[in-house]
This record gives sequence, structure tokens and C-alpha cells, in this order.
Amino acid sequence: MPIVKASDDADLARLIRSVAEGDRTALRALYTATAPKLLGIILRIVQDRGAAEDALQEVFVRIWQRAGSYDPNGGTPFPWLAAIARHKAIDRLRQEKVARLTQAEEGWLERLADLGDGEADLARRDALAHCLDAVEPAQRDCLVLAYCEGWSREELAARHDRPVNTIKTWLRRGLTGLRSCLEAV
Amino acid sequence: MSTGPGKFGPGDGAEALPFWVEDPDGAAGEYVLGTLDAAERAAFVRALDRTPALRAAVAAWEARLAPLAATASAMEPDPRVWAGIEAQVAAHPDAQDTDAAGTARIVRLERGLRRWRFGAAAASALAAGLALWIVAGPRPAPDGRQYLAVVDRGGALPALIVRVDLDRGRVHVRSLAAETPPDRSLELWYIHAGTAPRSLGLITDATETLTVPSDLRSDAPDATLAVTVEPKGGAPGGKATGPVIYSGRLIRE
Repeated sequence: MPIVKASDDADLARLIRSVAEGDRTALRALYTATAPKLLGIILRIVQDRGAAEDALQEVFVRIWQRAGSYDPNGGTPFPWLAAIARHKAIDRLRQEKVARLTQAEEGWLERLADLGDGEADLARRDALAHCLDAVEPAQRDCLVLAYCEGWSREELAARHDRPVNTIKTWLRRGLTGLRSCLEAV
Repeated sequence: MSTGPGKFGPGDGAEALPFWVEDPDGAAGEYVLGTLDAAERAAFVRALDRTPALRAAVAAWEARLAPLAATASAMEPDPRVWAGIEAQVAAHPDAQDTDAAGTARIVRLERGLRRWRFGAAAASALAAGLALWIVAGPRPAPDGRQYLAVVDRGGALPALIVRVDLDRGRVHVRSLAAETPPDRSLELWYIHAGTAPRSLGLITDATETLTVPSDLRSDAPDATLAVTVEPKGGAPGGKATGPVIYSGRLIRE
């Protein structure tokens, strides 16, 4: 099973550069290395397999078109790729405006601790786990469900039975706390 | 505007202060989370293009939260996904590449050919999981140029036979499977370099005859035909949105 390894960052960056030059073989290699993980990221947001695969196709067409805009000095390749996938998934989710049918899947935080060094930079993983743990639980719940499953402010408001403005405040406070903690680690 | 453009400022004093000015880092974080409302999100995306400080704030949040993205379970996509990507990349090569790889999906019927043939050009498409083959025309026309393609996509979508008769300006599409996915329509597109794809119409019946508009016929040798999966009733606004399930360039014999 191809997975994204932190140690593969240099390889992924090289592939993205080749894709920017119009190299389709590099696009295929990038797809082989990252598509399964990106599909997983999209699927937990849009929840429908067919729609997720349609979105994945659009993600790689976008990567093909936008590879030239990837700046290796601006960060490692995986967050760049994951961001394209998450934004495509969220755009699709918001467009369809379908009501969320499933319950939140618990346990993304626990999974964070279980990630191997093949799947995440361990220092970043530990810092994020530590700092999310320090965020107030309701705020943390909102941050994690929004990021992992694409919950909107309105959906989170319904889940917590609070006004949308309260959720917005929670999100901002949670983000601020998370950032201060991560910068202090 | 009393305040200057500032680090995160709008850079355009004529408009009202944008929503993120008060808390640009929080707005960038919410953009990454995906919780901005639709209007905020659209405004933020426009601002990103012209505000390097916002882009940096977004990149920082993406990096901070990325380990959480890695908690998603990896799963192998259906082969149709890669086939669709390849077809779309071939249809929009972005002027940067004009290499021969684009011919991988070209399906060409040679008159009089009466056996299955796996062309070298089709080999790479096969390698990509796209079962694609070329067949003889069952009804050879005495004159004129005919092209035929059979596309099978592993059962997820109906197989199609597409016959293009340039002399009559007709495209015959025959669906081999019993039905199109119930909530979708298949739409046929005519793509000529440098212009927007033009819809030739929906493939609604098992056997469909569509017309190539006369003003397009002279372009045909350089054109690409593509079939996309669209919402029921066709692409909204006449603009292709769905995955390309078939794409082939027409070549003059």
C-alpha cells in the first residue's frame, strides 16, 4: 500500500516539479504515491465513494494545472497536496448542500497518536496531539470535526446546541490557543 | 479609509474593510478548517491571490494541521479515476507539452480493418487500466471517413460505441449496457484547441445520433471528442463538469 512518508518529501517535491514541466509520467508516479491517502481524506468529508472519486480526479487535474505554483520553500509537499484535496472536498460538500446524515466518527485524535513515522512527521504529530489536548474540549471537537469531516459552523451549532456565533467564537479561540501552544512547544 | 493597507490590508482603499482584517490569522485558520461561510470563503480566496501575508498564514495552518489529515485511512481508487485524469490532461495539455503521449487515447478506425487490433498507441491506455480496443466498422461506407471506438470501463459505467462519420457530419453513439447511471447523464463534447468545449448533446438512448454542427466539420481533423458524466439533464450552463470517461482525437486518414 503506497503511503506518504515524511522521508519521501524530497521525492514528492521532485515529482511535483516534473509535473509542472508537463511530465505525465511524473503525474502518474505522484498519483500512485499519494492518491490512496488523498482519497481517504476526501472520502471522510464527502462520504460518498463515487463523489469522492470524482473529486479525486478533479484534484489531480488541478495538481497538473497548478504544480508550478508549489513553492518548496513554503512547506513540505504533503500539506500542499492535502490542502488541494480538502478544499475540493469541502467545495463539493457545500455545493451539494445535503444534510449530514451520519454521526461524527470519533477517534481522529486517538488515531493521531497511532500514526507511524511513515505517515507523519513525528515531531509535528506529537506537538499537534499535545496542543489539541490542551484546547478546551468543545472547541477541540469543533476544530477536529471541521478539519477531518468538513462540518460547517451551522452543523457544529446543531451538534452542540449553541448559536452559530458561539461556534465561530469557539473556532477562533481554539485556533488561537492551538497556535500559541504550537509556537511554545 | 483611515487605516493604511497594513500587513494584511485589502490593498484597495475603495472597498469596505474585508471581514478578515480584525483577525487575519483566525480567518486563515478557518479557511483551512473549511468553516468560513460561502461569502467569506469566496472573498478570502480572491484576497489570497493578491495578499502574500494571507497565503503565508494559510500555509502555516496547513502545515500545523497536516498530521490530522494523515489520520485518514488510505484506500485504493477505482481505475476509472486515473483513466479520467489521463483523458482530461490529454484534452487540456496546457500548451506546455505537445508530446506524443496525447495520442495514447486516440482511437482510429481504418476502413477495411476487420479484426480486433491492439494498437501500440492503445497499449499505454491499457496499462492505465483502461480496456480499449479498436474494431472494424460493421458497415463500411464506400467513401468518406469513418472512425469507430469501443470503450469499456470495467462495468462501473456503460460501454459505448462511438462512430464518427465526418462526411455526413454525424456522430452515432450506442450504449452497450442496459442503462446509464439513474441520476446522471452522459454528454458528448467536441473540443477544438483554443476554444471552449461544445456540447453535441446528451446520450440518452441506447442508440443516439447526434449532429456535428456544420461550422465545426472543417475543424474535425484537429478535434477531440470527449464523453463526460454530468448531472441528470446535462452539464449546468453548458460547461462540462463531470469526469471524462472517453476522449479520442480524430485524425484524417
